[in-house]
Amino acid sequence: MSHAPVVRLQNVTKVIGKRTIIDRVSFEVHPGEVFGFLGPNGSGKTTTIRMIVGLMGMTAGDIHVGDHSVRTEFSDAINQVGAIVENPEMYKYLTGYQNLVHYARMNSSITKERIQEVINLVGLQGRIHDKVKKYSLGMRQRLGVAQAIMHKPKLLVLDEPTNGLDPAGIRELRDYLRRLAQDQGTAVLVSSHLLSEMELMCDRVAILQKGQIIDVRSIKGQAADGQVTQEEVHFDVDHPDAALGILEGQGAGKIVDGMLVLSSDRTGIAAINRRLVEAGINIYGIRVKTKSLEDQFLEMTGSETIG
Amino acid sequence: MANFMNLILNENMKIYRRIRTWIMLGLIVVIPILVSLIVLLAGGGDDTSSWVMMSLESYFLFMLITVFTVVVASDSVAGEFSQGTIKLLLIRPWSRSTILLSKYIATILFGIGFTIVAFIVTLLVNMALFNSTSTTELSDGLLSGISDWNYIIQVYLLKFVTLILIVTFGFMMSSAFRSSGLAIGLSLALLFAGNLITGLFALANKAWVKYVLFMHLDLSPYIGGGSGPIPNHPTTLGFSLSVLAVYFVIFNLVSWTVFRKRDVAA
Repeated sequence: MSHAPVVRLQNVTKVIGKRTIIDRVSFEVHPGEVFGFLGPNGSGKTTTIRMIVGLMGMTAGDIHVGDHSVRTEFSDAINQVGAIVENPEMYKYLTGYQNLVHYARMNSSITKERIQEVINLVGLQGRIHDKVKKYSLGMRQRLGVAQAIMHKPKLLVLDEPTNGLDPAGIRELRDYLRRLAQDQGTAVLVSSHLLSEMELMCDRVAILQKGQIIDVRSIKGQAADGQVTQEEVHFDVDHPDAALGILEGQGAGKIVDGMLVLSSDRTGIAAINRRLVEAGINIYGIRVKTKSLEDQFLEMTGSETIG
Repeated sequence: MANFMNLILNENMKIYRRIRTWIMLGLIVVIPILVSLIVLLAGGGDDTSSWVMMSLESYFLFMLITVFTVVVASDSVAGEFSQGTIKLLLIRPWSRSTILLSKYIATILFGIGFTIVAFIVTLLVNMALFNSTSTTELSDGLLSGISDWNYIIQVYLLKFVTLILIVTFGFMMSSAFRSSGLAIGLSLALLFAGNLITGLFALANKAWVKYVLFMHLDLSPYIGGGSGPIPNHPTTLGFSLSVLAVYFVIFNLVSWTVFRKRDVAA
């Protein structure tokens, strides 16, 4: 799906006092795409999201949802956005249904049937007429999703949606978001610091640090980008020292925990294997260790202090 | 606009779906009944005027209604911030000013509703229990020859003006500080310390005292043609209302400006 972007941030900057909280952030999210927004605490994820949904103003730059600027055509822009900002806080003294009616009334396009449809979709039909104060966190999260998708937004923004959910809940949410993106072509923007989750959920991620985007990358099909990925390969051999000597000139290898570790790609691994066998080294196992997003993330953001 | 009505419906739902609101209403109904019964049982009978009872009870009820309306006003704005629901409320296709307006209107409707209830309850109870035909002197001898109906209606109208001012002040505090505790506290201070401060300013005996808000929060001295609340500086009701109108506009400007401009963080 290569339509025009659903949301487009252009050099968005936020200065509070003398501190630049967000520094010229630009990115786009396309229809049907699940876009992850990663960053350590205090990197500006939530601030950026609040600017997208108009809860915070921006000092410079602009954000467009569809063709509408959040700055100048707020109503038209926000009409296409559904969001949960941080925890899904609801009116606890109202029932789940009353909460949904409350938000539905603010948007002329939502019918009673649509409310019912959404309730069934998030699986709350049994408890929808209970007061929200009796809900578990997981149920509140579902109600939050329900209010966010009621008006069939083109962009769904979720800030730390997996906070406080159990593994089953996280998985359910993940599957649901993927379905929404695939079936309805909704663009989904998710922020999180849970890297493994993002890896499973997102098509692309932007990594934010100290208010700046330091990298945007695809998660699925990295090879499709044309780059040959160098991966870390562990060779379990009987004489690692000897093996290292044989492979002299094959790039930097090292010995870790009695294993020969070097970086190589697919064809390289076969060649190394052949050379070692020919040299009479016994190989008990070869393992390719793909770098997880977490490793890459920590590598990039380092251990820099907040501030 | 039919749509805007929906916003007011929403605010009403958030007020009237709370048990708290119905307890408040219960107090407004029960208190005058109890007070009148106690007076009746304590021996006040035929010689007690139902109009005197009604105006005494109404003075007290107005204090309660003001407190309740301030609570509702503060909660309506600051409460949304402390519950975190403001984040979901503001990401709808409505401007912040419109949302604030719906809250303000719902709050004023609450005040009007409670005032009407207080009027009806005090009227019926005292008509039923006491002598309404005697047109003897009204409370504190304040009255100079106007009819009982006229008097009581003036009390309600003038008290309601004060209520609006104090509630608007509470609304402003709530929007500025986003803390219902502070908003309620300061508004009540305005309500209860008003008389004290009026006395202090009156001592100053300067002309500018006439423009101080506190001096005009009790308009009852005008009933029956009095020369206003400030000793030595006679004013007219029209003058007092104009001063209050200026404060009213300032309070609302502050509420709206702050609510529209400020970021919703954390």
